[in-house]
Amino acid sequence: MKETQLKILQYISGIGLFFFVGAHLLVSHLSSGDPTTWESVLGRATSSGWLAFYIILSIFGIYHGLHGLRTIILEFSLPNPAVKVLDWSLLAVGLTVFGYALYIPINAFIVG
Amino acid sequence: MQDLSFKVQRYLPGKDKKPYIQEFTVPFRQGMTVLDGLIYIKENIDNTLSFRSSCRMGICGACGMLINNFPMLACHTPVEELETARVEVRSLPNFAIIRDLVASLDPLFEKHKSIKPYVISPDLKEAEEPIAEFLQSPDELESYVQFAYCVKCGLCMAACPTVATDALFLGPQPLGQAYRYCTDRRDTGAKERFREADSPHGVWLCHLAGACSEACPKGVDPALAIQLLKRAMVFDSLRLRKKRTPASVAQPPAESKPKIDVPEFTVK
Repeated sequence: MKETQLKILQYISGIGLFFFVGAHLLVSHLSSGDPTTWESVLGRATSSGWLAFYIILSIFGIYHGLHGLRTIILEFSLPNPAVKVLDWSLLAVGLTVFGYALYIPINAFIVG
Repeated sequence: MQDLSFKVQRYLPGKDKKPYIQEFTVPFRQGMTVLDGLIYIKENIDNTLSFRSSCRMGICGACGMLINNFPMLACHTPVEELETARVEVRSLPNFAIIRDLVASLDPLFEKHKSIKPYVISPDLKEAEEPIAEFLQSPDELESYVQFAYCVKCGLCMAACPTVATDALFLGPQPLGQAYRYCTDRRDTGAKERFREADSPHGVWLCHLAGACSEACPKGVDPALAIQLLKRAMVFDSLRLRKKRTPASVAQPPAESKPKIDVPEFTVK
């Protein structure tokens, strides 16, 4: 049930994104005060709670985006061997992007 | 209405490079269907016109065609319902053309076969040599009976936008039938069908456009069946699907006497 499990993760990440992107918008655009000041940015960068928040947001965002892209590409009538190549390629892209997405907040957390 | 203008797709593989439209004038008759018009053309104007039909009463599903850009059964479509004197008839989209209006439904039947469209009984002996009926409650019958009305006409496959973009997509008819058999309490083959529907070109490529349900001439709702199949597969994947006891076999009827005594022959 590989496809079903991937789809369940897609649903979970979609629901997660709703809350995490919502929280991001709330803090960055709707809260009182200026979230872009040096103090605010540094405050979030050095907070372990915000570090976890950014990492989870990255996982949800990257998975949801790449799975959506996979669904679109699958509609080009890809035969099964090509689907395997596609899966491994997307996994490689996902891990690379996730590595970079991890590096930035962790580096800021350590340096800050 | 006076005369009707029938614009009919013609195509003879090997001779024609691509399908083209030929126009015929057909006299209107009260209550005539699109199939009646095509039969008139074949009998009176051009006997080389090829189309498929059989029962002429919406049961066999043979005369599926694209009529005024909507997949319909020609025998089930009164010309008056089209509300125009111009009738354009093409072969079903998403299928190769054999000739003129005859579409090749082979992919439909291949996909249909792949989902094992039959009751897989746990009792092999009973399946081979049945002795009695399987017991089912009215509610159990109700859960799948509308999906059992499918006549395999292929209209849902022709209407489906996902089949149009991905020829490997199983499509609404096979997936609807997969659900029909999975929900039948006489059947224990759900796992095998889930495996087939779980392929990259399986149930999860359905975007719920709903065109299949709109096109179905028998009132089947394949879009609903696909959503229910998705739910069943998610529950099965999370091990939350309720385990059902397969329908039991009814007791063989006891020997019974006729209700009314048969009178003796008076003439010997």
